[in-house]
Amino acid sequence: MKVSFPYMGSAIVYKKLFEFLEHEVIMPPKPTQRTMDLGVKYSPEFACIPLKMVMGTYLEAIEKGAKVLVTSGGHGPCRAGFYGDTHRNILKSLGYDDIELIIFDAPQDSWRAFFRNVQKIRNGVPWHKVINRMYTLYRFVQKLDELEKMVQKIRPYEVNKGQTTQVWNQIQERFDKIKTRKELYKVYEECKQLLFSIPTRKVDEKDRIRVGIVGEIYVVMESSINFGIEEILGNLGVEVERSLYLFEWINDNLVPWILRPKRFKEIIKKGQRYIKILIGGHAVETVGHIIDFKERGFDGIVHLMPFACLPELVTQSLIPKISKEVDIPILSLPIDEQTGKANMLTRIEAFIDLLKNRKRGKTKEVFIDNIQEHVQEERVVMV
Amino acid sequence: MKEIYIGVDVGSVSTNVVAIDRNVNVLFKTYIRTNGQPIDSVKEGVKQLREALGDVEVLGVGTTGSGRQLAGAILGADVVKNEITAHAIATIHFVPDVRTIFEIGGQDSKIIIIKDQMVVDFAMNTVCAAGTGSFLDHQAERLKIPIEQFGDLALSATRPVRIAGRCTVFAESDMIAKQQFGFSKAEIIRGLCDALVRNYLNNVGRGKNLEPPFVFQGGVAANKGIRAAFERELQSKIIVPEHFNVMGAIGSAILAKNYIEKTNAKTNFRGFDAADIDFSTASFECKGCSNRCEVVKVSMEGKVIAMWGDRCGKWTNSL
Ligand code: SF4
Repeated sequence: MKVSFPYMGSAIVYKKLFEFLEHEVIMPPKPTQRTMDLGVKYSPEFACIPLKMVMGTYLEAIEKGAKVLVTSGGHGPCRAGFYGDTHRNILKSLGYDDIELIIFDAPQDSWRAFFRNVQKIRNGVPWHKVINRMYTLYRFVQKLDELEKMVQKIRPYEVNKGQTTQVWNQIQERFDKIKTRKELYKVYEECKQLLFSIPTRKVDEKDRIRVGIVGEIYVVMESSINFGIEEILGNLGVEVERSLYLFEWINDNLVPWILRPKRFKEIIKKGQRYIKILIGGHAVETVGHIIDFKERGFDGIVHLMPFACLPELVTQSLIPKISKEVDIPILSLPIDEQTGKANMLTRIEAFIDLLKNRKRGKTKEVFIDNIQEHVQEERVVMV
Repeated sequence: MKEIYIGVDVGSVSTNVVAIDRNVNVLFKTYIRTNGQPIDSVKEGVKQLREALGDVEVLGVGTTGSGRQLAGAILGADVVKNEITAHAIATIHFVPDVRTIFEIGGQDSKIIIIKDQMVVDFAMNTVCAAGTGSFLDHQAERLKIPIEQFGDLALSATRPVRIAGRCTVFAESDMIAKQQFGFSKAEIIRGLCDALVRNYLNNVGRGKNLEPPFVFQGGVAANKGIRAAFERELQSKIIVPEHFNVMGAIGSAILAKNYIEKTNAKTNFRGFDAADIDFSTASFECKGCSNRCEVVKVSMEGKVIAMWGDRCGKWTNSL
């Protein structure tokens, strides 16, 4: 089968999955302006931006020859639960009758449906191989995420601007070629060395700024839609951690309940302090992670929300209260088709200034300190 | 020879250029329409500065605004800083105990919350124009009243009238209705000022703790009608600083001054000849990897002097 999937975060993971199932994989292109234009053109106007971007991605994948599109569903009362069906209807209305859309809903919603889908994409690969390879993939995701977390801690302190991103690109290319578990562990160790060999400047613990990124899964994970916010922050000298990594998402959603790490339950519990009922999307997680980041000593939170995303709108309305009670600055950034980058950059920069001020004291001097670093960072682009 | 620091604020609507001395006295200020030509407007501003001040020694240059990187590259700025920090710095200088800054320009507006002379919170409008100067411009045009008379007319109104100001489109139809009810133009204008302020406070200031002293700046602060509407809404005095419409530029000049004084660095300023130099910008999509970055390139007389937008540093570092 010529299989493709929506682009979200490290897409090589999904590619691996279908390679392991011996499909012919059509790699969807990383979302660009064109993806957005296509998606916006063929989606309902008031749909949220992830639906539109995914729509655009499907159309581009179909152009490249994809016949089967595989995606995960959503559950709870937000619109995400209808994404799959909406996409399916749009594709039909565009005359793509031969395209099959396979939607994986959470297995606990219906184990029957889940296994029917698994059978479909298993592609006749014997079960013992499937299980073995899925375990490899599980470790693959884990290792890749570990490396990404390191990247986010090294980038702010790199001496040669851009080097960490270059290494990260190399790492992804190398991971893309991995076939076996043994290879995985070997490549992982080598990549780790690669990261450790990046020259960094020493920064005092008290001068380090840490920011947690929370919000709806697509805009948090997909850098092409969030302006590469992790890199922007990293380049401003800020350590970043996202609320969501694929490995944790798999643990939280696909691994059977009893085997799940406790962390997820704790986050949910923290979130339920503010949102008591199920409203869908990642609202409860978002709040839970805000509190969690604060407890772990982070300095600030960037909250990403697709414009018109209902659950995140609820979160946003709670943010002034949470920010005050938990005592952590939070910057909410709505993301839509026409968010201007200049405007976004201004906010992010000003927010980081604010965090630095907060951390370092209360005199006017502080501003001067900030500038100095900043000039160094920004002047790199000038001769 | 006079020693000065230059501050430049390049926004989408206007480009402001100021010169301050060591004691932050404003020696010169100008306000130029950007008209989509930021390079020309920066050059024009600097040219005017030189003509007005004659022989000066430039000790440092700061830029801010959405065109700050471009302006920084053209002039050889020492400090390139976002406009929220720049505005805050200037306001704190003139009104040291300020707690809340209202900044309303033609296209955008902000609220900055200050505590102990530090920015502790801020917000900017994103998409909605109903809380900015263009809302007023547009309605003034509809009513055929020159925007300069807008404020005085609003103050002359005797009765309040409520205009639905949630959005420019609704405001317009509501205005027409109220005109038909027999409200005077002055009253309607006062209603519009109230609507703008309400809107701005509800949208941009949502969830913020607004504490006095309040400082109101940006182009719209010239409008007495809006000032009065703020005072009615907040039941408090509103301070409009003398240089209300160029505060961002002043802030960036102060930042440059602080930086130079602290580091004893020599300025990167290219000199006033920059106004005669031929600059051009271009952008291209890099196909070096799947990121496909949109890279901006600024050239000076054909030679590339600055690049940005690449995520990996490939272009930035190539200089
Ligand atoms: S500038 Fe660098 S990161 Fe951007 S597309 Fe080119 S090679 Fe890739």
